[in-house]
Amino acid sequence: MMWFRELWRRLTALSRRKQIDADLEEEMRLHMDLRAQQQAEAGLNLDDARYTARRKFGNLLLLQEAAREVWGWASLERLWQDLRYAIRMLRNSPGFTAVALLSLTLGIGANTAIFSLLNAVILRLLPVPDPQQLVQFTYTIPSSGPDNWNSWFGYPHLERFREQSRTLSGVFGGVSLNGVNVGWHGTAGLAQCDAYTGNFFSVLEVAPQQGRLFVADDDRPGADAVVLSDGYWRTRFGGDPRIVGQTILIDQLPFVVIGITPPRFSIYTTAERDLWVPLHAIDRFTPDPSRWHAAFSSWLLIAGRLQPGVPVAAAEAELDLIHRRLLAEQLAASDRYGRQSLERLVRESHLLLRPAANGMLTGIRQMYALPLKLLMGVAAMVLLISCANVANLVLARASHRRRDIAVRMALGSGRARVIRQLLTENLLLAGVGGVLALAVARWGSIALVCMISTGDSLVPLDVHPDWHLFGFTAAVSVASGVLFGLVPAVRTTRVDPTSALKEGSRSSTRFSRLPDRMLVGIQMTLSLVLITGAGLFTQTLGNLRHVDVGYDRDNILMFSVDAKLGGYSGKRAGALYRAILDHTSAVPGVQSASMSIARPVDDQYYLIDRIGQVDGHDLPEAETIKVAWNSMSPGYFSTVGTPILLGRDFDLRDSGRAEKVVIVNESLARQALPGRNPIGHHLDGAEIIGMVKDSLYGGARDQLRPVLYRLLFQSEGGTDQSQWVGAGAVSVELRYRSGSGLVDEVRQAVASVDRYLPIFRVKTLRAQTEDSFLRERLLATISSFFGGLALLLACLGLYGLMAYAVARRTAEIGIRMALGARSKEVVWLILRQTLLLVLCGIASGVPLAIWFARYTKSLLFGIAPADPLVIAAATLLLMGSAVLAAFLPARRASRIDPMVALRYE
Amino acid sequence: MPPRDEIPPGTLYMLILKTLARTGRMHGFEIANAIQQMSEDVLQVEEGSLYPALQRMLLKGWVTAEWGVTAGNRRARYYTLTKVGRKQLETELSQFRRVNQAIIRVIQMA
Repeated sequence: MMWFRELWRRLTALSRRKQIDADLEEEMRLHMDLRAQQQAEAGLNLDDARYTARRKFGNLLLLQEAAREVWGWASLERLWQDLRYAIRMLRNSPGFTAVALLSLTLGIGANTAIFSLLNAVILRLLPVPDPQQLVQFTYTIPSSGPDNWNSWFGYPHLERFREQSRTLSGVFGGVSLNGVNVGWHGTAGLAQCDAYTGNFFSVLEVAPQQGRLFVADDDRPGADAVVLSDGYWRTRFGGDPRIVGQTILIDQLPFVVIGITPPRFSIYTTAERDLWVPLHAIDRFTPDPSRWHAAFSSWLLIAGRLQPGVPVAAAEAELDLIHRRLLAEQLAASDRYGRQSLERLVRESHLLLRPAANGMLTGIRQMYALPLKLLMGVAAMVLLISCANVANLVLARASHRRRDIAVRMALGSGRARVIRQLLTENLLLAGVGGVLALAVARWGSIALVCMISTGDSLVPLDVHPDWHLFGFTAAVSVASGVLFGLVPAVRTTRVDPTSALKEGSRSSTRFSRLPDRMLVGIQMTLSLVLITGAGLFTQTLGNLRHVDVGYDRDNILMFSVDAKLGGYSGKRAGALYRAILDHTSAVPGVQSASMSIARPVDDQYYLIDRIGQVDGHDLPEAETIKVAWNSMSPGYFSTVGTPILLGRDFDLRDSGRAEKVVIVNESLARQALPGRNPIGHHLDGAEIIGMVKDSLYGGARDQLRPVLYRLLFQSEGGTDQSQWVGAGAVSVELRYRSGSGLVDEVRQAVASVDRYLPIFRVKTLRAQTEDSFLRERLLATISSFFGGLALLLACLGLYGLMAYAVARRTAEIGIRMALGARSKEVVWLILRQTLLLVLCGIASGVPLAIWFARYTKSLLFGIAPADPLVIAAATLLLMGSAVLAAFLPARRASRIDPMVALRYE
Repeated sequence: MPPRDEIPPGTLYMLILKTLARTGRMHGFEIANAIQQMSEDVLQVEEGSLYPALQRMLLKGWVTAEWGVTAGNRRARYYTLTKVGRKQLETELSQFRRVNQAIIRVIQMA
């Protein structure tokens, strides 16, 4: 703090410089006058007294200078001089300035934009006190490989951790209810809701903005408290503090608003929540008393805060013990089917703590961490290329400024002083570039967020510039300023003034051109790496798009409804869904309509089950068939365009029948009943009535797998209310003839059934498919953009180098032509140099590209990291562009008139 | 006139701080005189060098300055010790004592 105050005094003194100087002078004059007076009183005459006083005081001017020096103005003055000079120099060569600034802005801007996303997704900490103490609980699952872990626990685990842990100061748990319907004053609206234990806010140490947050007593059976987020409070309730204490409806159930969280509070850094209810409130939405003591269930996220000073490893050891002891107890008390795999789980499962300082695990982080890191690397390479470009420009300019610098040095300027002057110029360029880059990045990062957002709302990534971002941009700007400035500055000042002044303008030929060539070579290398990467990602996207998923992607509109949101349950939900299906299939323009739990290319549900019985014979445990399943209404297959190969579709007769019926896909038929016609056989007691063509259940990246199709509405109680909390929505698929205005008509159709029931996830199947390629599209688009940018910059660099070479060698070329060289040979002379550079770039770029491609492996689809075709194409593209860039200077060289060239000097 | 010695380098700040600590508010001329008198005319400040030193002490925040009027009715800048200055004085004093004792020990051994 001391240095800060000192700096502050120094800076404030700057504005009072004249005053301080005057004060000092007056003070010193007073001193001498008083001394003279004293001497005079001692008996000296006035002149002698004055003289003595002066002598005793010392050198007045020197002392004044020394006193002034204290405030450190001299270095500031020099800096100001350098800056003014730099501005003048840059203004005098607008072409250079514009090109350099453009290169830097794009380079730094690319980095800042990607960094702002990386910052939001990975780096930003939760806005709570001491976030580094937060940990999230996960445990390993042995049966599915070493890297597999689960973050969902059963409620007994949470209780046990809370009771027994001594290393944690608090443990809380909760679950997302996802979309809920919030009603207030007769209007309905979708909102994101979480249910957490009563200690959620106190463990996180969050203080309310209005009202109060949960206390332990709120979390009890029949809980009816709700806490609103700041954002939701402002958008839905207009920031009115009187909402606290009022009753709102969540899925038609009354809840009392008890408080508002502070702004930006979230337990995720990449997702927002609108409201929180106590954990036990979920029994009001979907009553299930068994969930509070069921063993081996997994529906709760658990996290906690470490006691101060307790290392993670110690806490992990303690909690692992609790976790394993509980599992063993649960196994002993259980008589569940599938004991073998359970025994293995109990034997081998371990508890792991994951740092939760930047939020609980979310899909976004897992999905985008690697791509963003890769893109950060790509952006860094683009910046290197643009720095190389600017360095080349500076070098070229420096040879013109040699005389100017020689004059300055001859007049007594120190070399350090001149270097500092040149560096100031470069840092100024980089600084302006950095500021412009912030603007570019702001726009770019918002565009990126729009790109990765799908469906109804934006991904709530906070890409607002913060100090991290400013710091990053500043560091990158300064680093690039030094990077492209220091070498040229040092080299330019390594001159002997006398000889430099004597030389003519040809002096530049004595410069070694090696650094310039190396820079262009590096640009070529990096460009090749980037183009190869862009090629790999583009090819991946293309491959994914051409995968036959087994659906007809065109002319299908889908939307979801959730009976829970309207307060329907059980049989009433079934009736509601049937009414919605009837009304929407009657919409003009709709050819056929169907309803299912999971929709084609679903991004939310992936339903898994096991078949343990074929035709009445129990399968041994190791041979039970793992299937993906789905439930649908009749007409689903014809609507989504999956052919029925054998047997028939569900129809209305089946709904009333007591015996369950199912449809299988080819893979399931092959596995359960190899070599036989599956129709009429039974799986787990359900009769197979049809077999459909294989389709990819989870979208283009999925494998072909056994799929079981059940009939929606067949079982008692309407829909197959499934095992997880917050589910229960169904998807409606509509095959249409013309899509214009369809969404509005569909909304009206649903509203005619229930005016307050929202529909969501409204998407065509094509859009749904495209969205499932989002990460690939992001990578392909940005890497192509960066690849193109890199190529453009590298070609500019090459063009500059060659143009300069031709200008420099005008006389030599003139002599060659006078001696009989033909223009073809001259063109070759220049092109040869270019090709050599490009070949060097390729020779180092290909291995580098292959090396980097290893990191992309998990992101590729249907293509190997070192795909020879992509590398060959990238090489050709680079070569072609380079020759094109060098062709203009080469042609100019071939048109040199020998007579003009020889006189040129 | 007794012989006068230049003050040892590095101790000027300490002397000024000590003087101000003893007497409170003083202007530059008074400080110079005080040092000279208290040392019974042995120590002599090169008078002008007081002022760069005072500027630095202002910058460091050891003293504050305000304009006032002298007994002879002239405008003068008066310096006062701050809290930080007091602390600085203590560190300088203890450091000085340490060094001094060490030097004395070395000399006496010879």
